[in-house]
Amino acid sequence: MFAVTTLIAVSFSIGSFRIAEAEKPFLYAVLLWIILVFSALSGLSRSFVKEEEAGTMDVLRLSARPRAVFLGKLFFNLTLLGALELIIVPLFILVMKYKIEFPGFFAAMLISAGLGLGAGTTIVAAMIAQASARGALFSALSFPLLLPLMITAIKGCERAAVGIDTAGWPEVRIAIAYVVIMVVMSLFLFPLIWEE
Amino acid sequence: MIYKVFLTIWMAVILVAAFLYTEAATGFPGETSRILFFHVPQAWVATLSFLLSMIASCVYLARRNVKADDLALSAAELGFLFCVLATVTGSIFAKASWGSFWNWDPRETSIVILLMIYGAYFALRSAVADPEKKRVFAGVYAILAFLTVPFLVFVIPRITASLHPEDTMNPANPGMDPKTLKVFLGSLLAYTALFVWMLRLRMRILRIEGNRIEGFRD
Repeated sequence: MFAVTTLIAVSFSIGSFRIAEAEKPFLYAVLLWIILVFSALSGLSRSFVKEEEAGTMDVLRLSARPRAVFLGKLFFNLTLLGALELIIVPLFILVMKYKIEFPGFFAAMLISAGLGLGAGTTIVAAMIAQASARGALFSALSFPLLLPLMITAIKGCERAAVGIDTAGWPEVRIAIAYVVIMVVMSLFLFPLIWEE
Repeated sequence: MIYKVFLTIWMAVILVAAFLYTEAATGFPGETSRILFFHVPQAWVATLSFLLSMIASCVYLARRNVKADDLALSAAELGFLFCVLATVTGSIFAKASWGSFWNWDPRETSIVILLMIYGAYFALRSAVADPEKKRVFAGVYAILAFLTVPFLVFVIPRITASLHPEDTMNPANPGMDPKTLKVFLGSLLAYTALFVWMLRLRMRILRIEGNRIEGFRD
């Protein structure tokens, strides 16, 4: 809902004619990722808070192994992100008349950066569920971790739209490396957070 | 005590030498190249303390030794201080040299992210009430944040070229004036010694605070 509202606000105030043709690929990539990241953050922060509020955390602690809980939450978050991208990206392309030269690269960038978004924030969500001032803390903790990924994703989407120098898809590879590192380290560190 | 006196004299000598003994490097407007003796050691200490904080966090998570966490926190606090100093001095240099205080140069971007990581680390520590939990969470976050640093180092310079002086001021460069090199290394030593002194002081304060709180509980 938040995502659609932002998209409408952006599209209404900017339209597809206000921005000069040359600036479009870059500015659209920035706008798209701002919408995606902010709406994702508002949803992802809830994943563990929900359990804490419903009082089901303790049951989960007793009945499941920590890594199983982490993987379950990760896949839930990734599904959520996938659904979000599936709704927002086609809408954004339609409304903003976003021309993309390399749809394959663009899609790979969206998928890999979406995975990174989920991988980087799930463990943070687990931490903030046990802290005070959750919402604000979640963004504060997530941004520094996500910034390299966001910069890469914006660059990648811009390049896919313009259609320059995409041999080997370097941005996608960086995003995948980020996903792997974050998931592996989270699997290591999550039991420490969970068992406290 | 003797350490403190020696450090004071040493830093005073470096300060005088930085302005009077060395000559300003060519290729920089006016005397601006003298920033080398202050800005670079500050950035070095900020990075060093970040690394130290991460290692101490790992040690804490493995051994659950409160002293390791004290070290992680002290290093992070001092790292933040030196990071701010490096940002401010760098920004002044940027104004003098490139005409703008802030221009999202890759170096500027990465130091801002470093500041954000430190800020988030302190926010996390202050938001968790249980002391044991606080230490574990802070340790986990420090490790996660450290993992994103290589991405910044490798990702950002690929995207835009940096204006940050490298060759003319790099001590590894044989072209560096020997006088400058001497003072620069001396300054690096002085700043590192200052950092170690402050770190030990901060750790002592934390230990005393910890003792007092535990005594209060009994």
